Amino acid sequence: MPRRTRTRRVTIVLVALSLFAAACSDDDDSNGAAADGNGDEEAAGTGGEGGGGDGLLGEVQDRGTLQCGVNETVPGFGLVDEQGEFAGFDIEYCRAVAAAVLGDAEAVEFTALDAETRFTALQAGDIDVLIRNTTWTSSRDGTENSRFLTTTFYDGQGMMVSADSAFQSIADMDGTTICVLSGTTTELNLATAAAGAGIDIEPLTFPDNEQLQPAFEAGQCQGWTSDKSQLAGVRSAWPDDQGGPEALRVFDETYSKEPLGPVVLDGDDEWADAVNWAVIATIQAEEFAITSDNVEEMTTSDNLDILRFLGQPFPDPEDPEAEAPPLDAGLGLDADFAVNVISQVGNYGEIYDRNVGPDTPLGLERGVNALWTEGGLLYPPPYR
Amino acid sequence: MATTTATGTRPPLWRDVRVLRVAFQVAVLAAVVAFASYLYDNLRANDVSFDFGFLDQQAGFGIAYTDLRPSDTVLDAMLTGLRNTLTVALVGNVLTLVLGTLIGIARLSGNWLVRRAAGVYVEVLRNIPPLLVIIFVNSVALSILPPIQDANEFGGLLVLSVSELGVVSLADGGNAEAFAVLLLAGLVAALAVSWWRRRLEDRTGAPAHQWVWGGGLLVAVAVVGYVALASPVVLSHPEVEGLSVVGGARMGLPYVAVLVGLVLYTSSHVAEIVRGSILAVPRGQTEAAGAIGLSPVQRLRHVVLPQAFRIATPPIINQFLNLTKNTSLGVAVAFAELLRVTNTVIGNGHPAVPAILVAMGLYLVVSLAISLVSNVAHHRLRLVER
Repeated sequence: MPRRTRTRRVTIVLVALSLFAAACSDDDDSNGAAADGNGDEEAAGTGGEGGGGDGLLGEVQDRGTLQCGVNETVPGFGLVDEQGEFAGFDIEYCRAVAAAVLGDAEAVEFTALDAETRFTALQAGDIDVLIRNTTWTSSRDGTENSRFLTTTFYDGQGMMVSADSAFQSIADMDGTTICVLSGTTTELNLATAAAGAGIDIEPLTFPDNEQLQPAFEAGQCQGWTSDKSQLAGVRSAWPDDQGGPEALRVFDETYSKEPLGPVVLDGDDEWADAVNWAVIATIQAEEFAITSDNVEEMTTSDNLDILRFLGQPFPDPEDPEAEAPPLDAGLGLDADFAVNVISQVGNYGEIYDRNVGPDTPLGLERGVNALWTEGGLLYPPPYR
Repeated sequence: MATTTATGTRPPLWRDVRVLRVAFQVAVLAAVVAFASYLYDNLRANDVSFDFGFLDQQAGFGIAYTDLRPSDTVLDAMLTGLRNTLTVALVGNVLTLVLGTLIGIARLSGNWLVRRAAGVYVEVLRNIPPLLVIIFVNSVALSILPPIQDANEFGGLLVLSVSELGVVSLADGGNAEAFAVLLLAGLVAALAVSWWRRRLEDRTGAPAHQWVWGGGLLVAVAVVGYVALASPVVLSHPEVEGLSVVGGARMGLPYVAVLVGLVLYTSSHVAEIVRGSILAVPRGQTEAAGAIGLSPVQRLRHVVLPQAFRIATPPIINQFLNLTKNTSLGVAVAFAELLRVTNTVIGNGHPAVPAILVAMGLYLVVSLAISLVSNVAHHRLRLVER
């Protein structure tokens, strides 16, 4: 047929196809599902039927794996080791949540995120929970549409300099260049701290530690500021050809409060409660002196509170002959989820000592991260 | 044999070309509008805000090597990023043009070594992604430059360190504005004189050295102005004081790394364009120029290069646009250009979609401005055919 007619017909067919494609993609509900999820839970707060309802809890249980957003560059908290496995304090909390919700601490898929994209990944639904040394602040609660759960690590911002430099405090650092990660509370706190000390500094912002570290090693910046736990982690892994950990010094000063904890998306209270109590279970376990070694024998303890906590049937206080069924707190989790968490992962003390404790390269003392009975800030609400 | 249809009968509506054309355009427009509104509705349904009020909030962060303070607004921060981008774009484009032209001509040289060296330069740099070139330059600089406490100083002309570099520059010595006005007036006068001498040359045929006259006038005005205003501009020498460079033009290492990396990369493309445009001038032109007795330099200057320049202008302007957009690769070396600042703004909790829309709008304005200049230049230079 003549070329013009053929071109015209091809064009008309193409336009028709593109209109079809636009119309048909309305059925693609990946965005729709997230919108529905958010919309439902405003009315809901359902929770209660064993096994989740319509929200994220049910979805995770159906899926069978937990999508956890983590860090991969901070020793002690979230790091990929030489075997390619994730290891760290936050990693173990991901596993604790998986043990509580799914019964299997290994049923986790980790997504490494950098500081700038962690909240957009959470908002987009790419991850179910973000456990990535994230500080709880009011603006994150508000503008980032997120909900912060029990703080797992009370941290503060610090400054690290070369050990042979003359700086002893931030007030000495007028006119210096300081390396900092972008998209973090650190960046904002640095400006405040510098203004408070009456000095002027040049902040050099990097997207992640892999680009920041060579700049600090080369001397492009004289100071590196971050959460003290991150600085301890970086210092512990400092290469020997740069002088090893002794070549660095972290100031004693703390410039801000940095409560780190897991984060979920706003609007799904059932999911938030489930994750929250999985975390609280580890702290409560330490308070009851339940460890991964003795949890089995603790299930037959005489202490009513412990039996209740571990989801075991316990003698009815009113009728000593009868046995009350295990407590169902209406969280949508198995009654004995705490046993899963403690036996497969451990209590708070074990997790802390394995990853960031005094015997690890990070060497962090418990400090304020101790139980309230030891003078720290960890105070788990009662499980009843 | 078919008879032609009588004039006055029109084809049916569904075969009428004019109707079909309009219908097709309406259909495409409807599809675009439908798609855009579908996207917008989805974004709104997911609580993505289009509120631009965040621009007036405090930025909360500063930017190294600039004047931005944490108490300035987010809009100030983004404009500082834009200013950084434009600085690299302008300086980079000028350097690229110069370097690229020289290398392009070198590749056509009769000298074997020069030709080969230029060839290696072009082939290597053209085939490496610009991000790698920038990261390479940055890594080399990080490893060979000393920290600022031990900076290399070259007699007040140059300061090299791993955080900042300084170059000698001009500074206001008292009457700089008056001097600038005087120079501007001198430039206008020089152009007028050049034009007059050119008219004279066209009329009489004898060489009237228009550029010598114009240039000479400009230099004379500058010298007289400098003496009369008693050193209105002075040289400012960079020095290391404490932990920063004072005086001269100070540049952070990220800026220099991005500039050098992009200039190296883009100039390899410009070199190829220049070489191609010179080769595209028909051989007959060169031969005719030789036949009328022009020397090789005169041939190049009067016959080949003007025609080559006309051919080369649109692709070179395209490379300028590419360099301007490639400044966004500076995120890899902590260069605070527009994209980096936008990412920082988003990372600090401000709404992502409006922030990116603002950044896209700013990039668009810059690119459209460059395109506008390009189109005007091309329109003026194109061959007007009968």
